[in-house]
Amino acid sequence: MDTPPTGVPPVQAHPLLELESVSRVYGEEIEVYALREVSLQIHAGEFMSIVGPSGSGKSTMLGLLGVLDLPTSGTIRVAGQDVSLLDDPTRSKLRGDSIGFVFQQFHLIPHLTAVGNVETALLYRDMRPKERRERCVAALEELGLGARADHRPVQMSGGEQQRVALARAIVTEPLMILADEPTGALDSSNAAHVLEIFKNLQSPERAVVMVTHDLTVADTANRKISMRDGQIVGDDMLRAPAR
Amino acid sequence: MSNFDDLLGVAWSGLRARKIRTLLIMLGPIIGVAAMVSAVGLTESAKGALQAQLSELGTNLVIAQAGGSFGSQNPTFPKDSVERVENVSTVTGASATTNLSGVIALPVKGAKNYYQAFPVPVRAADVNLPAVLAVPMISGRWLNGADTELHTRSVVLGQGIAKQYGYLSGESRTIDLNGTNFGVVGVLATVPLDPQLDNAAFVTQWSAQNIFHTNGEPNQIYVRSMPGTTQATAKVIPTAVNLGGPVQTSTQIPSDVLQAAAQADKTLQQVALLAGLLALTVGGIGIANVMSISVIQRSPEIGIRRAVGHSRSKIGFQFLLESLFVGVLGGFIGAVLGVAIVYAVSTFAGWVVVIAYADIPIWMGLALIVSITAGLYPSIKAARLEPLETLRLG
Repeated sequence: MDTPPTGVPPVQAHPLLELESVSRVYGEEIEVYALREVSLQIHAGEFMSIVGPSGSGKSTMLGLLGVLDLPTSGTIRVAGQDVSLLDDPTRSKLRGDSIGFVFQQFHLIPHLTAVGNVETALLYRDMRPKERRERCVAALEELGLGARADHRPVQMSGGEQQRVALARAIVTEPLMILADEPTGALDSSNAAHVLEIFKNLQSPERAVVMVTHDLTVADTANRKISMRDGQIVGDDMLRAPAR
Repeated sequence: MSNFDDLLGVAWSGLRARKIRTLLIMLGPIIGVAAMVSAVGLTESAKGALQAQLSELGTNLVIAQAGGSFGSQNPTFPKDSVERVENVSTVTGASATTNLSGVIALPVKGAKNYYQAFPVPVRAADVNLPAVLAVPMISGRWLNGADTELHTRSVVLGQGIAKQYGYLSGESRTIDLNGTNFGVVGVLATVPLDPQLDNAAFVTQWSAQNIFHTNGEPNQIYVRSMPGTTQATAKVIPTAVNLGGPVQTSTQIPSDVLQAAAQADKTLQQVALLAGLLALTVGGIGIANVMSISVIQRSPEIGIRRAVGHSRSKIGFQFLLESLFVGVLGGFIGAVLGVAIVYAVSTFAGWVVVIAYADIPIWMGLALIVSITAGLYPSIKAARLEPLETLRLG
């Protein structure tokens, strides 16, 4: 843990996720570059934050990292696979299997209970309902929400809702957790709690990526990517990644 | 199959989460199917009552009416016409009646003016008329041999006229026929095959000839034929009655008229079916409308599902299954409702319940097709939503 930060990501045979001169352009007649020629490698065990002001391309980056969007040019590889070459069902499966999302606004489905929301991540996997439910309850218990399993989002506090969203993200045991301002809608004590959980989520097999504009939050990560005008302007190794 | 089970569960929970809206969009298929089931059921049941009555009354009654040469006042049959008809080998029974056109029947003396303006038809009849008509007495007895032999002044009322006179069952009552009192001895039940008899009063041939001075020649003969020979019998009766004489005879088979009436309901049935189809179509448009709005309202949910790995086709099928549930459930509820309506109305109207259960799956299938077609566009719309646009990141 006391290896000095080098600013260079550790080299591995297969990066978990790789962006190779990726651009994302919006609009047809007037082209707007949301991302311009960005290259980035994310490896297992990393706890990365992406910071930058509004309009710097953070959200576009998040969509691309989460395979919710495809680049206009360049290549994105998840576990070595070029996602542009996959059809929708395969890409969706890849997303469901390898990436867990956490959003600023929690994005829970209002008519489902806590456990029902977690279960959405495990649907369509040829899994017995009983097994699925057990895994989801276990994930909720891991985050201290065992007693809330049958509560609906409106019956829970913001912090609790965000932990349900976290449970939904980790229940699939993804390779990468992708979080968008995960503490943005929380008060400071809940935010601290959620950040603590994030820190604990990193493991040698898994990467955690957090998009934020809050520098204090960004500095809890091991590696900080700074963005401006659709380009990466800084890549700082703050701490050694988990091994 | 487990993936399909998951899909069913997701669609079902989506519908259950919005119960009122689900019920509202279900109203289309419910009303449509209920309308079609009850339309067919009610018309068939009404017809069923008529058919049941027909089979009870028999379709083998022939009514022969005397017709004179042009201009003759009161055409009649020869006196022995009943025997002549009974000689026909296919005839199982015959009974004649004579119209007493000059006789005014009064329930009370003071009602003379009214009954002169609207006279009650009085007929002379023989003892076996109810037997030939296959109609029971609803009270008292029919005219019998004793009435003829003892020259009683007895009268039997048709059901309609008994009602008009306010006659109470078993009541000792006399009515006035051209100034002579006659005792009411019974009331004949309604005669669906010849409704004219419902409003008639009946006396013996002896009374007709001796009190009202008729010649005893009948005007109508009611004939029962052997089953299956009705048409042939009706054809041969004029010859049998006439035997070379000048009498003209027209015959009719009254059950044919009733049967035609039973068939006439088809038009009504088709109109009601059309109304049901219309309800179904409008309901389908309602489903398409509400589901389209629902897709917009639920776009965050769609984004979340896409983010956790549900493919476009899964999202599409989720919404298509919701409309399929609406069709199946709405169709089923509609069918149950339709059957209930048929039972309720038939019980109330005293009909025999006839429900074409074999047709119900067709209506339900139709509701299903309409619902799925209506759900197609919203489902495609849902599948095409871009998750990034609905999740509002960053």
